[in-house]
Amino acid sequence: MRRVSLALVALSATAALALSGCSASSSDPGSADGSVVKLLGAEDPATFAPVISAFEAENKGTTVKYTQVPFDQLSSTLQQRLAAKDKDIDVYTVDQPNVSQLAAQGFLEDLSDLKDQAKKATTPEQYSVNVYQDKLWALSVWNSTQMMFVNNDALAKAGIAAPTANPAERWTWEQTVDAGKAAQAAGSKWGLLFEQVEGYYQLQPLAESLGGGSGITGKDMLTADVTNPGWTKAMQWYADLYSNNVSPRGVGGFQTSPVFADGDVPFFIGGPWDVGKFAENAKFNWSVVPMPAFAGGKAVTPNGSWSWGINPASDHKDAAKKFLEFAALNPAGNLATTEKTTIIPANTEAQAKYLPTLEALGGTHSAGVADLITEEIKTTAVPRPVSVGYVQFESMMNKAFADIRNGSPVEARLKDAQSQIEAAWKKLR
Amino acid sequence: MSVTVTRRPRRLRTGYLLLSLVGALIGLAFLLPLWWTLVNSLRPGSDTFAFLNPLSWQTFFTLSPNLDNYVTLLSGDLGRAIGNSLFISVVTVVAGLLICAMAAFGLSAIPFRGRGAIFGIVILSFLIPFDAIAIPLADMFRDWNLQNTFIGLILPGIGNGMAIFLIRTFFLAIPTELVEAARLDGLGWWGVFRRIYLPLSRPALIGAGLTLFLFQWQAYMWPLLMGTDQNHIVGPVALSNLQGQFNVDYGVMFAASVILTLIPLLIIMICQRYFIQSVSTSGLK
Repeated sequence: MRRVSLALVALSATAALALSGCSASSSDPGSADGSVVKLLGAEDPATFAPVISAFEAENKGTTVKYTQVPFDQLSSTLQQRLAAKDKDIDVYTVDQPNVSQLAAQGFLEDLSDLKDQAKKATTPEQYSVNVYQDKLWALSVWNSTQMMFVNNDALAKAGIAAPTANPAERWTWEQTVDAGKAAQAAGSKWGLLFEQVEGYYQLQPLAESLGGGSGITGKDMLTADVTNPGWTKAMQWYADLYSNNVSPRGVGGFQTSPVFADGDVPFFIGGPWDVGKFAENAKFNWSVVPMPAFAGGKAVTPNGSWSWGINPASDHKDAAKKFLEFAALNPAGNLATTEKTTIIPANTEAQAKYLPTLEALGGTHSAGVADLITEEIKTTAVPRPVSVGYVQFESMMNKAFADIRNGSPVEARLKDAQSQIEAAWKKLR
Repeated sequence: MSVTVTRRPRRLRTGYLLLSLVGALIGLAFLLPLWWTLVNSLRPGSDTFAFLNPLSWQTFFTLSPNLDNYVTLLSGDLGRAIGNSLFISVVTVVAGLLICAMAAFGLSAIPFRGRGAIFGIVILSFLIPFDAIAIPLADMFRDWNLQNTFIGLILPGIGNGMAIFLIRTFFLAIPTELVEAARLDGLGWWGVFRRIYLPLSRPALIGAGLTLFLFQWQAYMWPLLMGTDQNHIVGPVALSNLQGQFNVDYGVMFAASVILTLIPLLIIMICQRYFIQSVSTSGLK
């Protein structure tokens, strides 16, 4: 009995010690003196380590602390913490289509005094995604585009000459599907694969290419328009890919690149980040060519990535702004954000320095990628629409894409999506 | 007569065999996803989906298993995250058991007015999902400067209504004569609790301890709301962080999942006997 009571006392003491000990360990010595900038994002800490150390080296006495939040929970975590005026976030990463909603909610600091510098630093598209009601709310840090990765060995087996990296010789979607089917007949498991099979980002260009627009119209950008002929035709084409077994139904978004790397599909629509991935994993002759467009349609490529903004509740706005300017407007700082990941810097000067490095990753396979990306960003890039209702729009459209690829009748499903979006937007108008 | 005697056991045996077969198949169906996870943690991430369509023996077996994914994990946050999760869970179990057992004792052994009402509130507390109160609770914790601290992560797990309920039910089975005798011999309430109730209730304490442990081991939303940085990161958040925006290495993710599953599995297997005993004997007099 005595042993039991002794053990209990020991346990209670351990608990008390642990509790007091951990409160001491959790105190943050730097947060009070104003020299610590807290950055929050969804990337691995190694990704932002170079830009943080470059900034700290240039700004002695200021340190940057990074916290990673899982990608799928970033938006909801930000909503909750920013609404609670959480001072533990100074700078945070913003998915570009969410800029207007966050600004409308009062979760972004007005950066309009940086308008001129921001305009000079990046492309017009990358500047405009951060503007809402004529004010600048964030600065673009990364940019993106989409390309088509080709398994030349699979095409050679079917006796088809592979497309080239020249945008003037861009293939059509119809041509791509025909070649994909021929490759399937010659032994390929599948004909064509998208990386983000249910993602608006990658599927928006299909409708845009056929004149369907982004799906959002109106002066206040709160009118859904996804049932027009352009959208219907594009989505019917997309549905046919799955009903005709050209694309597999069972593999979800961002799970498809291993299928290309395993040599099971001749065409794969992916991003710059796939260049490094395939350089490492694909053991066959592959190349990178422009993303196709519909015959008779416009050449359109997706665009946009991440901007960074400042939390209005931050106690260290000046230091935060300094860090943000370094990461977005300073070419060296912006380049440092891409040192550990294959994504395009949004700063034009940094982009010019970065693209040759990206091209070198895949050796001869990725020859021409630098010029291709530069050209696409300049001429065919279409950003996602700027609307306070984008978050609801994207979520409902992604569900519609999932249903369509799983066999829902296209017209009826798009009508459903349209009415769901309109209902969700009623309270925003 | 003899015919019926020989037939019945045969029918029974066939029935028994069929039931066993169905049981084994159901067991295998439960094991399959776990087995698939384990096999894929032992091969490169690029091979994860290579053998899915069509299904073949290679889907569930690999001839060249390696530990590369587990080695990759060593360079990330998972080690620290597992350490943090263990620390948080163990402190919660120790402090939580003490508090929950004292509450259960008060609600079962000490007669006072309003005891039933207080117990009703305790029951109500575990019927409301934690997720439903997490956001306002996080706002309160932020006001108290408990954000990004271990105390902030531990506190919500300590007062657990389910644990109080389990222990109280067990305490009620202890004969009141024992308490009366001890009181007559001069033992105070604390002495009765410490010297009689606690030693007799080991199975219930282990069962309640497991409930407390699993609450913290699986905590995901609360640590995100508490703004945990890399020093305070917990296992489930570190696992989710492995899923990058552009690239998911399923091999590494599966390896991390295996580790995060093995730890509670080991603990549950060790304590299983007591846990079942505590649940099955709760409420028996």
